[in-house]
Amino acid sequence: MLKLTEIDTFYGDLQALWGISLEVREGEMVSLIGPNGAGKTTTLQSITGLLRPAKGSITFDGHDLLKVPPDKIVDLGVSMVMEGGRVFAGMTVLENLELGAYGSRARKERFETMEHVFKTFPRLKERLNQRAGTLSGGERQMLAIGRAMMSKPKLLMLDEPSFGLAPILVDAIFEMVKGINKQGVTILLVEQNVRAALELADRAYVIENGRIVGEGSGEALLSYESVRSAYLG
Amino acid sequence: MKKNLSFVIALVVTAALAAVPLFVKKDSLLTYLCMILLYVSLASSWNILGGYTGQVNLGHSAFFGLGAIATRLLWFAGWNILLAMLVGGLLAIAFALLIGSPAFKLRGAYFTIGTLALGQILYATVGNLFPQISSMPVQDLISYTLVTRYYLFLAVALITVLAATLVANSRWGLGMMAVREQEDAAESLGVNAFQHKLLALVLSAFLAGLAGGAFAFFQIGYYPQYPFSPIWTLDSTMMAYIGGTGTILGPIIGAIFFVVLKEVLSLNLAEFHPTVFGILFILVVLFLPGGFMGLWKRIKDKQQKKRESMAELSHP
Amino acid sequence: MLQPLAQNIIYGILIGALYGLAAVGLSLVFGVSKFLNVSHGELLMLGGYASFWVFKLLKIDPFLSIPLTIIFLLLIGFIFYRLIFSRLIKLEVEKKIQNSLLVGFGLSTILQNVALRLWTADDRSITTAYSGLSFELAGLRLPAVRLISLAISVVALISLQIFLKKTFTGKAIRATVEDWQSASLMGINIHRVYLLAFVIGCALAGVAGTLVSICYSIDPSMGLNWTLKSMVVMVLGGLGSMIGTFVGGIILGVTESATAFFIGGNYRLIAGLLLFLIILIFRPQGLFGTKEGDR
Ligand SMILES: Nc1ncnc2c1ncn2[C@@H]1O[C@H](COP(=O)(O)OP(=O)(O)OP(=O)(O)O)[C@@H](O)[C@H]1O
Ligand SMILES: [Mg+2]
Repeated sequence: MLKLTEIDTFYGDLQALWGISLEVREGEMVSLIGPNGAGKTTTLQSITGLLRPAKGSITFDGHDLLKVPPDKIVDLGVSMVMEGGRVFAGMTVLENLELGAYGSRARKERFETMEHVFKTFPRLKERLNQRAGTLSGGERQMLAIGRAMMSKPKLLMLDEPSFGLAPILVDAIFEMVKGINKQGVTILLVEQNVRAALELADRAYVIENGRIVGEGSGEALLSYESVRSAYLG
Repeated sequence: MKKNLSFVIALVVTAALAAVPLFVKKDSLLTYLCMILLYVSLASSWNILGGYTGQVNLGHSAFFGLGAIATRLLWFAGWNILLAMLVGGLLAIAFALLIGSPAFKLRGAYFTIGTLALGQILYATVGNLFPQISSMPVQDLISYTLVTRYYLFLAVALITVLAATLVANSRWGLGMMAVREQEDAAESLGVNAFQHKLLALVLSAFLAGLAGGAFAFFQIGYYPQYPFSPIWTLDSTMMAYIGGTGTILGPIIGAIFFVVLKEVLSLNLAEFHPTVFGILFILVVLFLPGGFMGLWKRIKDKQQKKRESMAELSHP
Repeated sequence: MLQPLAQNIIYGILIGALYGLAAVGLSLVFGVSKFLNVSHGELLMLGGYASFWVFKLLKIDPFLSIPLTIIFLLLIGFIFYRLIFSRLIKLEVEKKIQNSLLVGFGLSTILQNVALRLWTADDRSITTAYSGLSFELAGLRLPAVRLISLAISVVALISLQIFLKKTFTGKAIRATVEDWQSASLMGINIHRVYLLAFVIGCALAGVAGTLVSICYSIDPSMGLNWTLKSMVVMVLGGLGSMIGTFVGGIILGVTESATAFFIGGNYRLIAGLLLFLIILIFRPQGLFGTKEGDR
């Protein structure tokens, strides 16, 4: 479904990704793990068009994503939740959700989709006319995921959804992500919470210094010595 | 070697400029050279703060104006012109010190609009306080000689360029450039950003004040408000940008280009001279951040590379 | 003493509405794209001249010519954006503000020069049959054209507010102001949002210009002061709030007229600029409400 081949991405003169290749198949839940500054966010942003790789190719459902303008990528069914959620704090929950369905494909069905999102995140329905900036951390993350779901994605990418949340909330968020995956949405998950990410995922990639250094099923990586010592302590 | 060459060229140019009045007898041509020298002083002094230190100052005319107004008053009161100019420069410094610490609380574009507002405040205030045109007294008119003015402008331009060169090549200059590139990084390396900015401001103000003094000595009649007009700031900024900010030659080239272009256009497009210059300025900001000097450097680098690759080819 | 003071304050409120209108345009553009367009005052001047000439040559009532002014400035805005400002989009925020300011100055030099050559340095103002009309209220004079202008400013502002709050496009603009990266991920074409905000800003300047040419007067060198006034108001009102900006305009108008009353008419401009500097220095960072995600 999603295939990255030999991606190089730069920030100005600074190269952040070195020949990244990875693949996500339909219906899978794939994790991308690695230390701080490894290039996880950069990888996701290269897929969504926020950054443009200098070399390599990215295809999604047969489309060459490097040729698609950033605002049209979401229309193809790729959605991303950024680090920290990045909800529009000055706008209401409802407006945030509406904007999630901004693309022409999703806009027509936004009312039905919203009902669907409320089933996953009932809390959002209670907060509909509240400014997103006044939500709690967990609620914000729910809103961010709900907003991404509003675009009816085939592939949902999440950048550290558990970051900064209390442990109970972390579990709840992971449950929800699992639920979304069960509904048939393919997931690419970036996490610092390595154990949870590996337990949850069908497969995982390990990235360090902008290079993929490991790949395998979640279970296999969990038992893998170097991963254990590096990330699980 | 290269330094010596520059020095010799500078000396020759200076000597040539000093000799000009011996050969040029036409007033119009001499006036024209005076304008170039004035603009060289303005653009080069602007460049110390705006180019080398990266603090784009849109209130430069305030210093020019203060220098002019003080010099004019003292000179008319019977002071020696050089002494009067010195006081003009000192007044500009006093103002720079007054505004320095609040102004440098502002960073980047905020500093720029802050100085713009400051310049406009002075412009309006002087207009209110001195609404009458200031004309040279008859005895000064009778003794008026253009050549004296020419030498004064030349002296101010030389002092300005020399001061800019000395500062740019000193430790202070390095600090200023560090502040321009990355203020926080400079601070962490032990460069006191505020001190460097303040020094640049004071120097820039003093030199602009001297230029204002020369202008007050040169111009026969004008409204005291006129040297405070934002037009002087804009022209200085544009000249520095077009020639190349943060270089010694840039503002000089920009100033010469400015006056020559004005003259060339006067053949058929004189009235649209600001338009042409405005377009050029926009083009430089958008496409040629280093101005003419940057372009020159780029061409030279390319040739250098070509030469190197040729050399590699012939000596494998 | 009280009567003239009250009269002065009223004039201050009436001109303040125009300051507010002018500033809303500048603030919208800055909020969305971080372009500090210092040729805003010249755009306002163009709007004024457009209505002036349409009135003079075609005898079209200046208030009725506002739609023409809007179209004219949308067009000008489109051209300027495409030719110039669009090339600054990729820069990082600091550099973007700085460079937009510089090209704005280039533009303002050009527009000033062109206006001077085409239309001379004369002050112009539109005098219609009803220009002298005014109402009396408790002994205070309320000139009709200025009242209508106040009403038009308020209507323009409310329309803008409704557009921003209620339409999908308006919401896209607000989202882009808050966080352009997130907005882009929603499928919002932020380049189109930038363009749209820019031309709307220009159109607002144009409307303000028309009103200025009816109530007061215009001339080729008016631009810089109107830009500065708009910036003062933008800072006073705080970014992102249209109502706040409008109120800021009124505050500036009243400050100016109070200064004129107590100190002298020549010090109006200086009072506003001093106010600006004071705010600038005491609130340097939070000034234009730069929020997270501005990079
Ligand atoms: N805007 C930027 N400009 C320059 N360099 C950047 C920028 N963003 C990231 N980098 C660099 O690129 C590299 C990869 O960063 P990235 O944000 O992708 O890491 P990450 O794996 O997401 O880390 P974290 O777990 O901390 O979020 C880092 O070395 C970082 O310093
Ligand atoms: Mg990251």
